[in-house]
Amino acid sequence: MSDRTTDATAQAAPKQGLNLLHLLLEGRAFFALIAIIAIFSFLSPNYLTASNALTMTSQVAIFGLLAIGMLLVILSGGIDLSVGSTLALCGVFAGWLMQGVELQSLGVILYLPVWAVVVCALAMGAFVGAVNGILVAFLKVPAFVATLGTLYMARGAALLMTNGLTFNRLSGDPSLGNTGFEWLGFNRLWGVPISIFVLAATALAAHLLLTRAPFGRWLYSTGGNARAAELSGVPVRSVQVWVYVLSGICAAIAGLVLSSQLTSAGPTAGTTYELTAIAAVVVGGASLMGGRGTIRGTLLGAFVIVYLGAGLVIIGVSSYWQTVFTGAVIVLAVMLNSIQYGGKGFKL
Amino acid sequence: MNTNADTQDFKARAADYGQRYGILIALVLVCAALALANEFFLTQRNIINVLRQASINGILAIGMTFVILTRGIDLSVGSVVALAGVVSASLATTSATAGVAGAPYAFYIALSLGILVGMVAGWVNGVLVAYFNVPSFVTTLGMLSAARGLTLLYTGGRPVPSLTDEYRYIGTGDLFGIPMPIVLFAAVFVVALVVLTSTRFGRHVYAAGGNPHAARVSGINVKRVRMAVYIISGALAGLAGMILAARTGSALPQAGIAYELDAIAAVVIGGTSLSGGVGRVTGTLIGALLISVVNNGLDLMGVESYYQQVIKGMLIVAAVMLDQARHKHA
Repeated sequence: MSDRTTDATAQAAPKQGLNLLHLLLEGRAFFALIAIIAIFSFLSPNYLTASNALTMTSQVAIFGLLAIGMLLVILSGGIDLSVGSTLALCGVFAGWLMQGVELQSLGVILYLPVWAVVVCALAMGAFVGAVNGILVAFLKVPAFVATLGTLYMARGAALLMTNGLTFNRLSGDPSLGNTGFEWLGFNRLWGVPISIFVLAATALAAHLLLTRAPFGRWLYSTGGNARAAELSGVPVRSVQVWVYVLSGICAAIAGLVLSSQLTSAGPTAGTTYELTAIAAVVVGGASLMGGRGTIRGTLLGAFVIVYLGAGLVIIGVSSYWQTVFTGAVIVLAVMLNSIQYGGKGFKL
Repeated sequence: MNTNADTQDFKARAADYGQRYGILIALVLVCAALALANEFFLTQRNIINVLRQASINGILAIGMTFVILTRGIDLSVGSVVALAGVVSASLATTSATAGVAGAPYAFYIALSLGILVGMVAGWVNGVLVAYFNVPSFVTTLGMLSAARGLTLLYTGGRPVPSLTDEYRYIGTGDLFGIPMPIVLFAAVFVVALVVLTSTRFGRHVYAAGGNPHAARVSGINVKRVRMAVYIISGALAGLAGMILAARTGSALPQAGIAYELDAIAAVVIGGTSLSGGVGRVTGTLIGALLISVVNNGLDLMGVESYYQQVIKGMLIVAAVMLDQARHKHA
């Protein structure tokens, strides 16, 4: 147990313990990304153009946001399968609010300003996360069962909210003062899509949370050895609840960005996105046993997955292959991680 | 086995009996309530309908019981249902475009191939879980994605239509007036019951799930047992996929989405513990029937299918919470 604690500290402060293993592990995702970019730019002249790189990176934004939330959960030793459904539910909820909420008792239709819509959608994400967290931390439901349950509940709720249809009037009306929803997905700052800034800001915040705040230390120790952490006075249960809440909020941000990019909110958005998010986290070298992993690695993982997927599409490989390959990449990355960490293997 | 293990075994068994009758009582109560609320519920046609609906999920849940007894989980069954369905259907179709060269083949060739596809998928899961120590939910989540992708690749996203009548017999035919899906479900149940309660392999499954270390020390090849349960689960998923295809007359690449949830729910409601080693296939049977009755009841009362999804999600979480509570007592 002691070596694991050392390792967790090493990750919390990378400058102190630059062990070779860790370097190699982070290097693997990085070299894979370089190789992917090199191979696809060789195969297709359209791959490494500035516009395609920006398009791909704004796609990274969606999966990167989900993966950051997923990393926090995985660091605590859990898993969150509900992120794709939460993304859809929050997108649809925002869309529903943008259409105007009819208050029948008052006989008025309430149009919220965009900032209030965003806050409500984030609150919805936090709520779904809180349900997951309470189920896992206090009711001791295994994480993958609890979040599989909320996966279906959130999807069902999203379908109910729209009756299976898609909201596509998200641009708002100047006379109602609720325009500007597309800003998140469409506008550019210095030629770079806003969504990329959103990802960068979230990643920076999460990085600081993990490396500079007590919460980060608590999280690494909870995932490393929950029992020892509890005995040392770490509020293990509330840490567990918070990681799911944060993951829900990340999914909500991703849902807002996605529906803003598409200018529509559909209840089937984000199906199987949880797979891609998990893939990004494990490619980034995080251990599914908890306690090991970094934001940098996870971001690299998200870039690897998206750039590879986009490259395959550009050279004309069927998108069905991507479904096959996401599954294979997850299993392969987990195997490589377990070899790298030299562990004796996993238990469910 | 030492005396300590015996007492633990006794306690677990006592808790298990309570659960078993509890779930049976729940089933009877739900049936009684539905019979009172809706005069159509107790008609012969509806009862056959409930059993037929339970059969596919029941077959999957029986395979899942084996896996869960060894502390594993198989999230890939829904995708394997689709993969085995389309592969075997492509051998049994009279359509010139959707079939493989030389189709239609005899139904037994098509059926064997479907089972084989399921077993191969299960074997891959089993090898990764047992020999490479990849957590079962990650492995089977990967297989969920991979098998669905392969299904779409194999069919190009199009259904495989026009299956031969012999092939369709396993879905639409009957034996002594009982529909074939129910007959097959009953047969699978009886075999599973015998295997788990009266064979050496069955005892090994319980031992490997209850305490893998102790099982290994007592000379059980735990890795092989763990691999075998995924193969069983895959084979049964293949069978379920073919029954589904035969019933609808064409194999759909989108078949079986979210079926893993129903199967897990049936197993957990039936009293099998997710921590392994404790559970009965009889409980799984009752769990599958209960889910089917609840679905049927919601249908009869005209509840929207979207609500059913929400209710199902809650049902499984509630069942697992009960499981956890029971463990505290045991």
